[in-house]
Amino acid sequence: MLTKLAWKNIWRNRTRSGVVLGAVAIGLFAGTYLSAFMNGWMLGSVQADIDTNLSHIQISDTAFSANNDIGAYFLQTNVAEKLANTPSLKEISFRLILNGMLSSANNSVGMTANGVVPEDEQRVSTIWKMIPDSLGAFLPEDTRAAIVISEKTAEKLKVRLRSKIVFSFQTAAGEMQTMAFRVCGIFKTSNSAFDEGQAFVRYDDIFPLTALPENSAHKAYIRVADLETCEKITPELKTLFPDLSVQNWKELNPMFAMSLEYMDLYAMIIIGIFLFALAFGIINTMLMAILERTREIGMLAAIGMNRSRIFRMIMFETVFLTLLGSVAGIALAIAALIPSLHSGIDLTFMMSDSFEDYGFSSIVYPVISAEMFVEIVILVILTGILAAIYPARKALKLNPIEAIRS
Amino acid sequence: MRIIETKNLVKVYTGSTVEVRAVDSVDLVIEQGEFTAIVGPSGSGKTTLLNMVGGLDQPTSGEIIVDNVDITQLNQKQLVDFRLKNIGFVFQSYNLIPVLTAAENVSFIMELQGRVKSEIDTRTKEILSDVGLGDRLTSRPFQLSGGQQQRVAVARAMASRPKFIIADEPTANLDSKTTEKLLDMMLELNEKENITFLFSTHDQRVVNKARRVIVLEDGRIVSDERK
Ligand SMILES: Nc1ncnc2c1ncn2[C@@H]1O[C@H](COP(=O)(O)OP(=O)(O)O)[C@@H](O)[C@H]1O
Ligand SMILES: [Mg+2]
Repeated sequence: MLTKLAWKNIWRNRTRSGVVLGAVAIGLFAGTYLSAFMNGWMLGSVQADIDTNLSHIQISDTAFSANNDIGAYFLQTNVAEKLANTPSLKEISFRLILNGMLSSANNSVGMTANGVVPEDEQRVSTIWKMIPDSLGAFLPEDTRAAIVISEKTAEKLKVRLRSKIVFSFQTAAGEMQTMAFRVCGIFKTSNSAFDEGQAFVRYDDIFPLTALPENSAHKAYIRVADLETCEKITPELKTLFPDLSVQNWKELNPMFAMSLEYMDLYAMIIIGIFLFALAFGIINTMLMAILERTREIGMLAAIGMNRSRIFRMIMFETVFLTLLGSVAGIALAIAALIPSLHSGIDLTFMMSDSFEDYGFSSIVYPVISAEMFVEIVILVILTGILAAIYPARKALKLNPIEAIRS
Repeated sequence: MRIIETKNLVKVYTGSTVEVRAVDSVDLVIEQGEFTAIVGPSGSGKTTLLNMVGGLDQPTSGEIIVDNVDITQLNQKQLVDFRLKNIGFVFQSYNLIPVLTAAENVSFIMELQGRVKSEIDTRTKEILSDVGLGDRLTSRPFQLSGGQQQRVAVARAMASRPKFIIADEPTANLDSKTTEKLLDMMLELNEKENITFLFSTHDQRVVNKARRVIVLEDGRIVSDERK
């Protein structure tokens, strides 16, 4: 009955209730939309970086991770044998990583050539998907001495598909080696720094020139089911390979990992500011509502409504208002987000290469988590309850005789 | 049976300069079923007396005994509960809850008392048709005239069958015809349900309808007549 009365009371002054409802709804909408957007942006960027660049976990010789020394290799068989017993590992790609110069008739650029087994590599990274149909493919079987370079590199070298380019590097024996390749694919990722520095060749093509022992590799790129598995499995791998360097994407790109954590903080700050404003709005509204109803509340006290009931009535009113606003706000946010969940929000119109330089993707797929919605709604309602305490206490201080006389 | 008894009841208001004895040494006994008007000029202490008897205001000294309980000894919390269970109130300006219908206004106190729904519904319909508003159950206060609203207020006060009903100038906002109708209706209910009414007025026509008239002057009872 108190709840019924409270419910009816919030519709007394529709304008005022509407303002509070609207404020809650818009605030919640903005808060959840923004946080879904930022979350999506970060996660999307992280995922893109994992897909093209980092993979989930990389294993290398400790000396290699420090200075990419060609002599700091490990034997594939040693690593593969131990990994065979780790069931949550999905895919592994071993790479030779050779630093050198890539030259065309026109120009030369510093380049890291990744010697990969295409079939393995395609299960770990998505570079092969980043090659448009018109620009070739990722080391197809029928090609010999093929190389995949980025669009950026192709521009710098002024080369096209099927152009000949030359890669020179220092072998493990300390001699200079040069090998001619034909461009078989041109890729483009959203990370231009990555694009500028990486090229892909076939392991079998480049290996004979390296003067490395049979079966050697510089890095194992590992892909697991998801970020959670990655988090879980990293320490296991570290104990499994005490002599090698085992790093997951967070360790490989600490800036991303940190941004991801800061994202939560930003969301908290934004929501905090909104809740603060909301609290004042509610205090103000409820004080006005009580002032307007002084006589009525006095009458209720006179005919026998005790303090706890009056307090609860005011509380219910506030909770209903905020709850209703929350539902409206979330409905709004979901309605606004649903169309962009699959198609994404294209940011290319407002940001250019500068963001891509840092590896942020320009198409954002917002990420809604039910958990986040529930958290925000609970926070809003808690704020409502806390903000209503002061006005409700004011209502309790009313002296019924004076209230009725007024 | 004695419903209310006051013993040497005094209420003093101490202002900055003067001391007002709003109610002065009032000894009053109200019997079950009485229909009593308290009359007197403005400022004679009617409201102050009714507020004290209704448990809304504390006397400066004296006792108010209702049902063997001295209500002046109750704390605020006990008083609210006491009012809810024992006293019906009718106010000068109706004071209905505007967002509730006539029926909901009448049910309200019974619901606060925690009575069962079926009983509440039956009683609400009965009492509203007793006050002649059986066809206005779902009307909201703003859809009713002043007289009708005050009849809902009387129904609300009566619905839970309190020990007595306190009404401070219940007809002050009504025209003479409506006043008479309301009084007749109150009298009828007083007879039908044997509920005690204690009301104040300075309207002579209302006084004429009363069964007992207590005259106050400067806070003192100067006459007390039963008809
Ligand atoms: N809260 C108060 N403070 C000071 N004086 C008051 C207060 N309430 C009533 N009085 C005084 O008490 C006297 C009786 O008032 P009241 O009981 O309202 O009389 P009535 O209802 O018969 O007009 C008046 O002189 C009035 O001024
Ligand atoms: Mg008065």
